[in-house]
Formats: sequence, C-alpha cells, structure tokens
Amino acid sequence: MSIRAENLSYIYNEGTVMETYAIRDVSFEIGDGTFVGLIGHTGSGKSTLIQHLNGLLKPSRGTVYFNGEDIFAEGYNMKALRGHVGLVFQYPEYQLFEEDVLTDVMFGPKNLGCSDDVAKERAIRALTQCGVDEGRFDRSPFELSGGYKRRVAIAGVIAMEPDVLILDEPTAGLDPHGRDEILGMISRLHKERKMTVILVSHSMDDVAEHADKIMVLNHGELLFYDTPREVFKHAAELESYGLSAPEITYLAADLNAAGISVDPSMSTIEEAKEEILKALGR
Amino acid sequence: MIRDITIGQYYPVDSVIHRLDPRTKLAGTVIFLISLFVTSSPVGYVLATLVLAGVIKLSRVPFKFMTRGLRAILIVLLLSVSFNIFLTPGTTILKIGFLRATKEGLILAGFMGLRLVYLVIGSSLMTLTTTPTQLTDGLEKSLRFLNRVGVPVHDIAMMMSIALRFIPILVEETDKIMKAQTARGADFDSGNLIQRAKAMIPLLVPLFVSAFRRASDLAMAMEARCYHGGEGRTKMHPLRYETRDRIAYLLMFVYLALMIASRFIRFRLF
Repeated sequence: MSIRAENLSYIYNEGTVMETYAIRDVSFEIGDGTFVGLIGHTGSGKSTLIQHLNGLLKPSRGTVYFNGEDIFAEGYNMKALRGHVGLVFQYPEYQLFEEDVLTDVMFGPKNLGCSDDVAKERAIRALTQCGVDEGRFDRSPFELSGGYKRRVAIAGVIAMEPDVLILDEPTAGLDPHGRDEILGMISRLHKERKMTVILVSHSMDDVAEHADKIMVLNHGELLFYDTPREVFKHAAELESYGLSAPEITYLAADLNAAGISVDPSMSTIEEAKEEILKALGR
Repeated sequence: MIRDITIGQYYPVDSVIHRLDPRTKLAGTVIFLISLFVTSSPVGYVLATLVLAGVIKLSRVPFKFMTRGLRAILIVLLLSVSFNIFLTPGTTILKIGFLRATKEGLILAGFMGLRLVYLVIGSSLMTLTTTPTQLTDGLEKSLRFLNRVGVPVHDIAMMMSIALRFIPILVEETDKIMKAQTARGADFDSGNLIQRAKAMIPLLVPLFVSAFRRASDLAMAMEARCYHGGEGRTKMHPLRYETRDRIAYLLMFVYLALMIASRFIRFRLF
C-alpha cells in the first residue's frame, strides 16, 4: 500500500499575474504502515499536497502512484481509491450534516457500497475507537462539544477503513488535553490497524512523539524527508524557515550547554527521560 | 468549477481604470449600458466596440477574464438569439421544419447578442477593476440623496459589501465541504436528477450551518467595535474626484452624445 509522488507540482492561476506554485517538484515514497509527520507553516503547501494523494486535486505536473498504479491515469477508479486513502480535512466537524451521529459516520461506508448493516457495524467500531461512547450515537452531531464533533468527523473517515489515513491539522483549535487525546487516538489506530498515517501539522511537538518519518515543506518545496532524529539535527535551519524543533531538542541543547551531556538528537519524552537519567548517573 | 463566476472578482493590477474614483466607474458603466440601448445602428456598435476595447486595453486586465462572465449567460444568450432569428417576420432565408429564419431576424439577433455580450463585459470590467469595498463606497455616496425619501442607503450599502465580501468565502467553503464529502465517497456528478438533488444534502446542510455561524460571529464582532449604523461614521479613504475623473466624465458624455447621434445617422443612411 505504498504511495509514491513523482515530480508533483501544483500551480494556482497558471498564466496570470497571480501565478503561484503551491507545491513545486515534490517527490517521495511512503511505505506501508509508516507514520509520517508532514510539517510546514501556513501556506507551505501541506494541504495542497495531501489533496493530491487521494485524487481531489489534479497536479499541474507530475503524478501520484498508489500501489504502483498512476491514480491520474484515464479510467482509474477514484472512488475505490478514496476508500483506500482516507482524508480528514482541517476542522472536519464542519462537514457533519446528518440528524444523528451514527448515521453521519455511516455516510462514508455506504458510499463505498456497504449494506446498512455492515456500514452500521463499521460506524460503531470507528466511533468506539475514536472514543465516542454509545450514549452519544443518537444525538445530533450539532449539539456535541467541539472535541466530540471532531472525533465524530474523524470516525466518519475511519469507518471507511482506509489503508492510509491522512489528517490535516487534526488538533487545530483544541485545548492541550483534547490535543493529546486526538494524537493518542491516532497513534493507537496506527498500531492496532497497521494503518499508514500522514499527520499534517505546523507543530513539531505534535509529530515528534509518534512519527517514524518527518517531511518538511517550505514554500511548496520538500526540504527534508527523514527520521525525526535526522531532521531535528537541522534545528537551526528549521528555525530559519520559521519552524521550530520540538521542545525536547531545545532542552537537550540547554542541558549540553549547562555541562550535562545528553544525546542532542533525542526526540521523544521517553528517550529524553532515559538520556537525562543516564547523564545524571542514576 | 464554481470559481468561474466573475462578478465580485477583483483583478489586482495597477492601471488608470483601477485608479479612477468608483463613482466615475459606476457612472461610466451606467452610461455604457444606456448607450447600448440608445443606439441601433452599425455605426453605434462600432463606436461601442472601440470604446470597450480601449477601456479593456487601459485596464490591463487580460481579455479572457472578461469572457468568463459570459459562460453564466450562455443559455439566455442562445435563447434570445434563436427567438430573434426565428420569430421575427420578414424575408425568409432558411427553413427548418416549421421554423423560418428571416434576414431581419438575423440582423436583430446579431445586435441583440452583441448587446447582451457587451452588457456583461461592461459590467465585468467594472467589478474586475474595482474592489467590492470601493464599489459599495461609491454606490453609497452616489445614492445618498435617497436618504431623504427614507431609503436607508448606508445600511443597504453595508449589507451589499458584506454580501460581496462573503461570496468568495462561501465559494471557498463550498469547495472545501465538497472536497471533504468527496473524500468520504460522496458523488456530486452522476446519477439522475433526484439522486443528484439528494447528493446536495451533505453539501448544503454544512454550508448553511457555517453561513449562519459566520453571520453571527460577524454581527458580534461589529457590535464589539461599536458599529451603530451610518450616522456620524467617517471614512478612512474619503472619495475625492481627481483630474483623471473629470477627464473620464468628459469622455463619457462625448461618447454618449455620439451614440445618441448615431441613431440619426442611421435614419439618414437608409
């Protein structure tokens, strides 16, 4: 279930004075079951890039291969692709429309041709995995709290049981607690369902903890695509692009400056704990 | 897709036309529209074409942006042209079944079509060179006299500018929701009429919800900034006529006079 982008470019208003490259000549391959963090600040082309991966946007140049097949080739089954590559947009709660939570989540599976029973079964499973309890299934999605709306919307895509799950800033506008819950939930899905996950964010802290690989976009160009440790070695460069390394990287630098030597490329809280304990000789 | 609507789409370049006072441009557009109905002679249309071409050239907006607005009126255009061709009495030149195309009809349809096309291009030209804010400012000031007969000009202008401002936002929102639902496997393009209408529900419900949310947010934000209607409100950029506006007015009246004169030229020719 690999996704491969080849020389992907997307140009807005081609041929006018407003011509701009949203993404420029981006190539990469995402292997099965990888958790990729896609980082870049506002306007770097993150959202544009991911919309190419399930065929919502057609590239100006280049193409995308899903399992070796060109998804923009004539006659490619886009609907089937959308069942394989699930995309959760930014503020997904704005796409809710049904009378009750369960029916809304069933929308996706039913579009894929599932019977009512199968769709219901999938919806219940997805909602449970997203931490929505049964008591809320019959409620109107519009009367739920912001955090729950977001969960229901994410469940709406997960119920389609995609092999690849792409989430565009799923933690935007949530408080730290809600953020941790959503990220934990995504990480669990990744482990339990062996899903490939692409998590879009502008915060390194969001992705450092869970991602196997980090992709950094700046002004539509792919700067880095590597393991978090490798990417965070370029902390100074990242800063010059207006991105910061995770807090842990700064902590490591501060500790080293203070004479407590730790591995400067530690990137998760777990690693940091071990490093610091080791450095302190305990 | 839905981005083809030109009305309310400003094309940001710097040109003489862009710099004109919005009131001048409004007046110009109205005069141009009137002139199209005043004249009915080939001479008049040649003149109108020249003027339109000149203004387009001056505005530095690429021509293909003008014609975008035409797509929206294509059906109206086709209908009116064919009605004119087939339903005008006169010398028959072509017979298809019971339909008869006449020479007089063809001429009339030609003018009619040209008139419609110029109407759309003329008004697109104004919206392409004037920001919605300038436009409503201009309207508000030009129509202020209506205040005396009890028309709340400021309120209407404010509503208009908000509506105009919201068009691109709602277009973008529609696009986004459409994509989000497409990602969930929704299909907006196939099926019969009933299926298609049903397919709109997942689009329309979120769109309405978000429009209401935005409206209420905006109302709150305006109140928080002490908005209380037009009374005693000052402008950051008060409208003031410059030399170029006076020249533009002069040219407009010369043009209108010529167009009126063209009516009489025709009478003398035939």
